[in-house]
Amino acid sequence: MLYAFQVLNGLGLGMIYFLISVGLTIIFGLLNFVNFAHGAFFMIGGYLCYSLVGWTGSFWLSLLFGPLFVAFAAWLAEKILFHRIYHLPHTFHILVTVGIALILQETTIMIWGPVGKNISVPEGLQGVVTLWAFAYPVYRLFLISFTIIIALALWYLLERTRFGALVRAGSESAEMISLLGTNIHRLFAATFALGVGLAGLAGTLSAPVRGVNPFMGVEVLGIAFVVVVIGGMGSFTGALLGGLLVGLVQSLMSTIWPEGASLMIYGAMAAVILLRPYGLFGRA
Amino acid sequence: MKRREFLATGLAATSFLLAPALLRGALAAERPVTFYGVKSMSGAFASYGEFADKGSRLAIEEYGALLGAKPKYAIIDTESNPARAVRKVQEAIQQQGARFFGGCTLSSTALAVGKEVNKAEGIFMTPAGADEITTTEFNLSTFRWTVPTYGAIHQTVRPLFESNPKAKRWYTITPQYVFGEALLTAAKNLFAQLGIEHVGNSYHSQQEQEYSGYLTNAMAANPDVLLILGFGGNGASCLRQAANFGLKKKMTILLAWTQGLDWFQSLGPELLEDVYLGAQYWHQVQTPLNIELVKRVKKVYGINPNYPLAGDYVITRIVLDGIAKAGTTDGRAVGKAMEGMTYEGPTGTETVRAEDHQVIKDYYLLRGKAKSAMKDADDLAVLISSGKSFPEPAKRS
Repeated sequence: MLYAFQVLNGLGLGMIYFLISVGLTIIFGLLNFVNFAHGAFFMIGGYLCYSLVGWTGSFWLSLLFGPLFVAFAAWLAEKILFHRIYHLPHTFHILVTVGIALILQETTIMIWGPVGKNISVPEGLQGVVTLWAFAYPVYRLFLISFTIIIALALWYLLERTRFGALVRAGSESAEMISLLGTNIHRLFAATFALGVGLAGLAGTLSAPVRGVNPFMGVEVLGIAFVVVVIGGMGSFTGALLGGLLVGLVQSLMSTIWPEGASLMIYGAMAAVILLRPYGLFGRA
Repeated sequence: MKRREFLATGLAATSFLLAPALLRGALAAERPVTFYGVKSMSGAFASYGEFADKGSRLAIEEYGALLGAKPKYAIIDTESNPARAVRKVQEAIQQQGARFFGGCTLSSTALAVGKEVNKAEGIFMTPAGADEITTTEFNLSTFRWTVPTYGAIHQTVRPLFESNPKAKRWYTITPQYVFGEALLTAAKNLFAQLGIEHVGNSYHSQQEQEYSGYLTNAMAANPDVLLILGFGGNGASCLRQAANFGLKKKMTILLAWTQGLDWFQSLGPELLEDVYLGAQYWHQVQTPLNIELVKRVKKVYGINPNYPLAGDYVITRIVLDGIAKAGTTDGRAVGKAMEGMTYEGPTGTETVRAEDHQVIKDYYLLRGKAKSAMKDADDLAVLISSGKSFPEPAKRS
């Protein structure tokens, strides 16, 4: 029973990890852009949730407006700064995005202070579902369900709409679709905003579970990269399966070998790289 | 050479050889003493460093003349990283002649910095918790204000168990590094003494953010008490997720070592209500110095003092008092002067134990209040018990 419950835990965790990493993989897939500020945008999503809940008293308003604001900020940053460095080597991407991440982190400390904050679980989603000796938070069940809906919506957007077709085509040959009359700059900006907005959404959704602190961005960035590497850079399905795999490994190892639970996430990544160097769904 | 010529030549040679030392001594008396605050101003423990820095600054600002001049303060940012802290302390010793240091909340940092300061025969006083600081890793330069892990466990587990002797099944969640291991060892020893059944332990890494797996292990063991041994962000995340999983209603939760007021503020009464909390300092304790400290901190910073602020305030004062008592900036002489020193501290009368440089002071067990019972925004907990518990000092080799 304990292991069955850890599997449920792992699925919940995996869905959070998917949400954190799917934006990163979309941005990399289309733009070939390594965004080390992804975790910082996740953090901003969490802090916006904290402030919006404080001002309005409604978690649902923060869930609506927080990620939209993060996406808008990302769109602005792309227009002003990031689109200028797409053509440069990855080292420049890392340099600029790490700088942006540090600026966001220090700005957060200036505005909200260095001490972490707590965000209450919204009313109606408080409490637990009891199964035998175990309890599972209602909010985490909501989180799993909500993320499944987001995953389906994303799949539809990327696989069944004109926008998705352009994004997928753009990831193959940006020049070609540009020659066919698509405004590639607008497409890139929209994709960047979508990817970062998803990070903001993940930050908002995980705030009642984990609280917020100025260093949470750095912490999740490591996990996001592990998920993307396991799933394959640029793969939506890879992010989903990678997230679930990492969540399950972490959760099950919490019982089998608790002190190595975090370590085994990286062990799983190493094993996948050895067997499939480009990840589960990655392409050479 | 005649006897008189020999004496005159000898005296002249001796004067010449001693001149640099004499000049240095004369200059030292006029040069202000600089106290170096070794604080985590950035990185994962920046929230601690900010308040610790405020405490040291306050102590320096209100201190009068020390060896003929007003003492100065300089900050060394550890970046919450032991290796960087040690490098910066080494640079301060070599390039600026630094000798007096205080701070380091992380045990690993404190142990490493203490060794470096000891090599330079300076003074280092710390609030870090690991027992090793005053036992196996003891050195002549390092002093410790906080109650170590042994006392934190004895002053929380014992009173909680005595108030509810039926709660015999305890589960622990432990961060796997020096501090967590020390707390767990102390807890296991006390469990054996009190007849408490230790039904399980889950280790986690210091960087852990996700506790659902460990909490599930705890649920499976069906304990009466969940003892959380994490500090700072570890403890906060674990408690938050334990509350999410409904464990507050299923079992008693005790955090043996918390950061105190600022940490409580970040969690809020909703999470803290009915949770037992170990603390080194509590602003509501009515001791003469604490009443004064609360007034001064409110006046200067507009807040109630918390543990990092009060701890580093008193650390700074003790070192400055030691220099004043010794009448010199010679580190070994200052250390000797500090040994056995008794003073009025924020927790009442405190004594620096000469044998192991451990300050003998109270540790507190608090319980989180319901929001409706709070008299003001900082009235987040009620004092349940307090007392002093220290192991016998180890014999110096």
